[in-house]
Amino acid sequence: MTESPVLRLEGVAFTHPGGSGVSGLDLEIAPGEAVALIGPNGAGKSTLLMGVLGMVTLTAGRMTVASSEADAATEASTAAAGPRRTHSQDGMIGFLPQAAELDPDFPISLEQVVMQGRYRRLGFLRWPGRADREAVRRALETVGLGDLARRRFGELSGGQRQRGLLARALASEPRLLLLDEPFNGLDQQNRDALIDTVRGLKARGVAVLISTHDLELAKLVCDRVVLVNGTQLAFGPVADVLTLDNVQECFDGVEVELDEHTLVVPGHEGH
Amino acid sequence: MGYFERALLASIVIGAGAGFVGALVVLRRRTFFAQALTHGTYPGAVAAAALGVSVPLGAAAASVVLVAVMSAIARVRRQGAQVAAGIVLTGGFAAGALLQAVIPGLPVRAESLLVGSILTVTDADIVLAAAVAVIAVAAVAVFGKEIAFSTFDPSGFRASGYREWPVELLVLGLTAAMVVSALPAVGAILAIALIAAPAAAARLVVPTYRGILLAAPVIGAASGIIGVVASRALAVAAGPAIALAATAFFVLALGISKVRALPLNRVAIPVETAEDARTA
Repeated sequence: MTESPVLRLEGVAFTHPGGSGVSGLDLEIAPGEAVALIGPNGAGKSTLLMGVLGMVTLTAGRMTVASSEADAATEASTAAAGPRRTHSQDGMIGFLPQAAELDPDFPISLEQVVMQGRYRRLGFLRWPGRADREAVRRALETVGLGDLARRRFGELSGGQRQRGLLARALASEPRLLLLDEPFNGLDQQNRDALIDTVRGLKARGVAVLISTHDLELAKLVCDRVVLVNGTQLAFGPVADVLTLDNVQECFDGVEVELDEHTLVVPGHEGH
Repeated sequence: MGYFERALLASIVIGAGAGFVGALVVLRRRTFFAQALTHGTYPGAVAAAALGVSVPLGAAAASVVLVAVMSAIARVRRQGAQVAAGIVLTGGFAAGALLQAVIPGLPVRAESLLVGSILTVTDADIVLAAAVAVIAVAAVAVFGKEIAFSTFDPSGFRASGYREWPVELLVLGLTAAMVVSALPAVGAILAIALIAAPAAAARLVVPTYRGILLAAPVIGAASGIIGVVASRALAVAAGPAIALAATAFFVLALGISKVRALPLNRVAIPVETAEDARTA
């Protein structure tokens, strides 16, 4: 039996107010599947993720998240009221931003940051209860930071903060997880921990979309790949999409080396 | 109740309220906004005095316009918002000064609008300040976790499906209401001292968000009491005495945090807080 996809984009374009954006998106992600979103800097990877979150306007095509739909027509009619109410409102989508610019002096502990992932479920006026604290504890265990729960967030290392924000995304118990360049700036230990986490999420049926430069990583944890550079160039199984021709076209003339296991894209420091 | 007791009560209510709202302002890094607001309400206060209507009412009318303008600007770009706050600050102040110069025979002395006159506050002034403080506490009771989330991580807040502008508008609105209700006691220029200094002091020595929300009103109320008592004992103006007491608390907190940071402790003085202090 095939389960219906958690995310489906059909001819979708997401456009910033200034006119830049990403278009021609046709893809789907099934429960328990990880898809790598690959393209050079400025290709529109973050725009795509923001669009799925509802923070960039959908200007063409149709998007389905779980069973709820958005298309360009309804988008235009609600545009005057500001960004649309997003699917992440009901905890459907978890998001790990690329580089969160957070005040390291802000008086907040790691577990309080992770608890923010529960707020959408709680709604206004209600304060976290036992189930929420349990979800936070589990999320911290999953990313391997259970011991540091009480530590002030700003005192953690860069990799630990990144994992803490991942725990916040997990605490909302999402069906779709969006990771924007999650491996940038991570050391080997944090990178391995993140790979394990993604594998664990897939096993639990979470759909994962990972934007990355790291082709090796895409082969390691992802089932399918979508190549973008302003527009979608290819979407399919890793082995079919990550060919020399495709990657060269995507990275626009940048010299690409292909050996048996790794595609190296010089000039794109993806780790 | 004698005028001195009433002044003491007013200083406690306004000091505590301003300290509480100030904690939200300082943590959100909206101190400069708040200062622009205090100066920008000045022409409203002058106009109200000239028309013979309530001064807080005039200041409130001016602040509604300013909050609308500034929250619109805040949605655009941070750098632009700083510049615009500076323009609102000086523009509002200049408009007030000009109004005061061209309107002959103002019933209110200029100083009382600028630095307040706590010895002449009315019961209505105290009730207004108390009401604003209660509303601020109620707003934090209902939206506290959302305010904290959006303050800590605005883009993460939006990515979670929230809209940021209602929170921004709520905090700006509370700030404006607090500024307006503090005007009779400490005036347009000194109100920012009661909003920024107690909260900045609390932030230096208290490690948690909740703790800062509790400590800042206590410091604010203490500043008010010390200022009023000192003004009677030393026969100086109460408004400046209150502002100086709040500043002294900040200097004290700065000293404590520096001493704490001395022995091989890596906790640095938060740069933003130091900036806030300069603005204050």
